[in-house]
Amino acid sequence: MEKDMSKDMNKDIAANRKREKIEAVAKAWFLINASVAIICVAAITFFVFYKGLQPFFTGNHEGTYSFIKFITGLEWDYSDNPEVALYGVLYMIIGSIVATLGAIVIGVPISVLTAVFIAEIAPEPVKKIVKPAVELLAGIPSILYGVFGLGIIVPWIRDISPKAQGQSLFAVMIVLTIMILPTIITITENAIRVVPNSFREGSYGLGASKIQTIFKVILPAAKSGIITGVVLGIGRAIGETMAVILVAGNPQGGIPTSIWEPIRPLTTNIALEMSYAFGMHQEMLFSTGVVLFVFIIVINLILARAKAKISEQ
Amino acid sequence: MNNQKFLDHGTTLARTSSSRIIKDGFFYGVIGVATLFTIGVLVMILAFIFSKGIGHIDLNFFMSDYEQDTQYLNVPIAEDGADNKLGITIGEIETEDGIFMGVTSISSKANVDASTNRADDAYALKKGDVIKKIGNTKVEDFTAEEINDVINQQTDNVIGVKMFRPGGGVYPMIITTLMMIGLSLLIAGPIGIFAAIYLVEYAKEGRLVKVIRFATESLSGIPSIIYGLFGMIVFVGLFKFNYSLLSGALTVSIILLPIIVRQTEESLKAVPMTYREGSLGLGATKLYTIRKSVLPSAIPGIVVAIILSIGRIIGESAALLLTAGTVSRIPSLFSSGATLTVKAYAVAKEEGNIEMACAIGTVIIIMVLILNGISKFISRKYTIKH
Repeated sequence: MEKDMSKDMNKDIAANRKREKIEAVAKAWFLINASVAIICVAAITFFVFYKGLQPFFTGNHEGTYSFIKFITGLEWDYSDNPEVALYGVLYMIIGSIVATLGAIVIGVPISVLTAVFIAEIAPEPVKKIVKPAVELLAGIPSILYGVFGLGIIVPWIRDISPKAQGQSLFAVMIVLTIMILPTIITITENAIRVVPNSFREGSYGLGASKIQTIFKVILPAAKSGIITGVVLGIGRAIGETMAVILVAGNPQGGIPTSIWEPIRPLTTNIALEMSYAFGMHQEMLFSTGVVLFVFIIVINLILARAKAKISEQ
Repeated sequence: MNNQKFLDHGTTLARTSSSRIIKDGFFYGVIGVATLFTIGVLVMILAFIFSKGIGHIDLNFFMSDYEQDTQYLNVPIAEDGADNKLGITIGEIETEDGIFMGVTSISSKANVDASTNRADDAYALKKGDVIKKIGNTKVEDFTAEEINDVINQQTDNVIGVKMFRPGGGVYPMIITTLMMIGLSLLIAGPIGIFAAIYLVEYAKEGRLVKVIRFATESLSGIPSIIYGLFGMIVFVGLFKFNYSLLSGALTVSIILLPIIVRQTEESLKAVPMTYREGSLGLGATKLYTIRKSVLPSAIPGIVVAIILSIGRIIGESAALLLTAGTVSRIPSLFSSGATLTVKAYAVAKEEGNIEMACAIGTVIIIMVLILNGISKFISRKYTIKH
């Protein structure tokens, strides 16, 4: 009988070991899947930089291209002949930055005020219309913003512009403004909603009106949330491709001197020419991607900082 | 600090005056204008896309190929044709360029499926094809009876037919979009869900978890054109998948990862601790607990994650443009094909065809509306239950 018992115990121990093994394997498996995100970020960063920096250092059979000429160049004119090909992106960088700033300047006040309306002012039935509308705006694919821009905004600008062309910096600004609205509205609305009610009550108790409470108490308290939304909006605007490709005009060179002039954002430069580019031309498109990526990394780092600050509070 | 602010306000606020009412009214007005702008923009976009696009949408739009096609076919005769030797019924076919005579129905005895074109490839004559020539006789201006006569006058067992298949449809793009949705969810779904399980059920707050979270956050901040570049370098180039459904799906999978991880994490966190404690207390292993008691309660949240992902795939264009191409055909795993959204770009940019882009846009927006509705319905139904 004793023998039987020890046999049973051995069996139990074996079963337990097997179970522990399965548990350990499962845990490792889940960890591997969780690490995919890290691998992806690392791989994306490595390959985009590796491929995009190649033409400046190792080059190919067409030789290398001067990084200074690339980053300070005001003209983009690809050619099979390396002697005459020009790959300058400074005017694109300026175009991208100015368009993004314009969209932020117009878009942030509109977004914040809309968020205030949804969170603080709108009665429940109105809220039930406005909120899904903002969600739908966020769900419309960016290419359709571009089609809308090409069909409505560009002809409108052609009518009021001193230039003959409607595709312009101004058109890009408007389209980007529309695109960043839902991002900033949603995040600002959340930030306003988490402001404790005691703030409102305190303000009302001191005799402040609703408007005074909103602008002097609630918005300052929601500041860091709003900043997060704005930074996200900047990231979205500078990385946007398909919405602006149809309305930007995409000239071969020249820094825009007014909002009526066409621009060529970094993103559209890549999407426009990639389908037929090869050799040095293609590699310079990857280099354009590197410039864009540097902007995105900086924006992401700022964002991580802002979020860390919020969680500290 | 805030208290001091309140006190300062208090003293100024005491001086209530009509100027404050005017000021307040002004700000209410500004807020109203801003909100109206937001709503107005949405209404304008929808009105524009629908009004331009709706005219193009009919059954043909969903069922036909995009490219039109003209072929010289060798069509075998039917065993026993009713109207004519080919066993087809001739009638009026509506196309964008007008009404022509063509195939309105095909009898079961017809052999038109066995037709070949000049390159000797199989090319079945189909319902909706316009007939231009029979043998050596041009029949474009003929009536149905006259065409039947021409067909019946042919003596060979195989009759030469010049046909024209009108395009303007998005059938291949609809199928490509569905394939893209299926394949990318198949790749990103399990990875994202497993990753979320690790983060919620296993991980202890530490450096590794911080890095994983930072990586996931970063992924959602990368613009899709950068994903496109990466997919082009790695999947199209390095792995030699070329411009293909697979390259596109792999690229989109990375884009989906943060959406699925975050949403699944939320739904796992919402499962009450008592579920886990009860199961573990009864002697179940951790894996068993996750499988049998945590995951089932988290399913509504995971479904929402999948619906959000579908919305993202439908809307994606820049990344797919660089990895899956713009060809209007149904792809295999290793060949290229355009999704609806990529095609909308291609027709707007390369053909300047805004109407067609809007027609595709109408279909996309209706899909987005339906997906939004479903995810709302699920979250409402299940949050009330909890």
